[in-house]
Amino acid sequence: MIPKQISAALVVFVMTVLLATAGSTEPMAIIKVPIDRVIDILNDPQYKVAGTKLTQRNQIWKHVGPMFDFDEVARRAVARKWRDFADTEKAAFTDVFAQFLGNTYIDKIQGEYHNEQIVYLGQNYHSEVYAEVKTRIVRETAEIPVDYRMRKKSDDQWKVYDIIVEGVSLVKNYRSQFASILRKETPAQLIQRLNDKLTEQNKRLAENE
Amino acid sequence: MDIPSSEDTDAIFFDPFDDDGEDFYGNEDQMPDMVADPIAGFNRAMFVFNDKLYFWVLKPAASGYRVVVPIPVRVSVKNFFFNLLAPVRLVNSLFQGKWRSAEGEFCRFVVNSTAGFLGLFNLVRDKPSFNPPEEDFGQTLGYYNVGNGVYIIWPLFGPSTLRDTVGSIGDWALNPFAFMQLIQVDAGVLTSSETNIIAYGVRTVNSTSFRIGDYEALKNAALDPYEAFRNAYIQNRLSMIAQ
Repeated sequence: MIPKQISAALVVFVMTVLLATAGSTEPMAIIKVPIDRVIDILNDPQYKVAGTKLTQRNQIWKHVGPMFDFDEVARRAVARKWRDFADTEKAAFTDVFAQFLGNTYIDKIQGEYHNEQIVYLGQNYHSEVYAEVKTRIVRETAEIPVDYRMRKKSDDQWKVYDIIVEGVSLVKNYRSQFASILRKETPAQLIQRLNDKLTEQNKRLAENE
Repeated sequence: MDIPSSEDTDAIFFDPFDDDGEDFYGNEDQMPDMVADPIAGFNRAMFVFNDKLYFWVLKPAASGYRVVVPIPVRVSVKNFFFNLLAPVRLVNSLFQGKWRSAEGEFCRFVVNSTAGFLGLFNLVRDKPSFNPPEEDFGQTLGYYNVGNGVYIIWPLFGPSTLRDTVGSIGDWALNPFAFMQLIQVDAGVLTSSETNIIAYGVRTVNSTSFRIGDYEALKNAALDPYEAFRNAYIQNRLSMIAQ
């Protein structure tokens, strides 16, 4: 038999631990929870049936989308030229870019998920508001390092603003492309290009349904 | 440290995880992930050439190969070539004074060449100390602050830079077939050019068989594919040199 005081102390201790973990949602948890959900969705037999790809994509997006701060992603990807964007253009750009990224990467993982495992290696804080979560995708023959860079927003939520795959920053990669396009074209034309690409993508995705 | 708020337009590119920190965007032309591209005309032509080569030759070959050859065999082929090129990684680890890496490379080579049947099996796959970052001569040059020089896309071989091309030639000399040729050992069929070409072809098709779809995905994700691949190459090399 456990004495009463000890069991009471134990209860208090357990509750403190639970509350502590619940209170501070660490950067790694912000990544891990939705990614684990996505893997469940990818393995879910109900989506092995033809004609369920769109539903599956929407389900994945529902979990993955909120991980990201797309305002920050868009701003960083455009970088210096962001000042040349009117407020409405900023909003339109952020929206179309987010959809485009979502489509592109969800389509990729839907098409090619073969029981890859995700290993969570750890998280580094750079300061109170910047952190990096290091992960690795383990395939049958190769390991792909994927790092998530995150920033704590004013509402205390950690959000991803860049993903580094094999040393390649997604934001910097788009930055170089946008820079080369914006040397010759206006922000409106860039938004148009993204819109065209998105339309074409949606059409292709609908055909593959 | 003073953390700029994201509303501060001058600091919106601040990323504390970049070594170059805040000044990163002082001048767009001096971004570390930029590379001089004076032969862009040639490179763009080669980009198209390699793209067609991938879709018309390499992808069909690798797809067929993937259907015919079961995974364990493909993994062993990959392991075999990887083991064969251990001298390249070992020598370049030594050149950079990375003794721990060199030790790991050496031990893996010994274990896999013997107990692993000439490298067909990788017996130490799950041991981190036996699997150091892969070094090559381009990285060694970069380690000693040799810059990229200019960007070059080679037909068949793909994106590179002047520095990495010099590096690849150095590494080629260290692959066992070429090495035997260079020191004039007559190993008959092993040192013939045909063997070299066939080995390169098998290795390329085999490694592509694991990565079908990756190139397409990257290309589809890009608004300007030429620029996207150039930037990705430079960023990837920079991160490898930093390791």
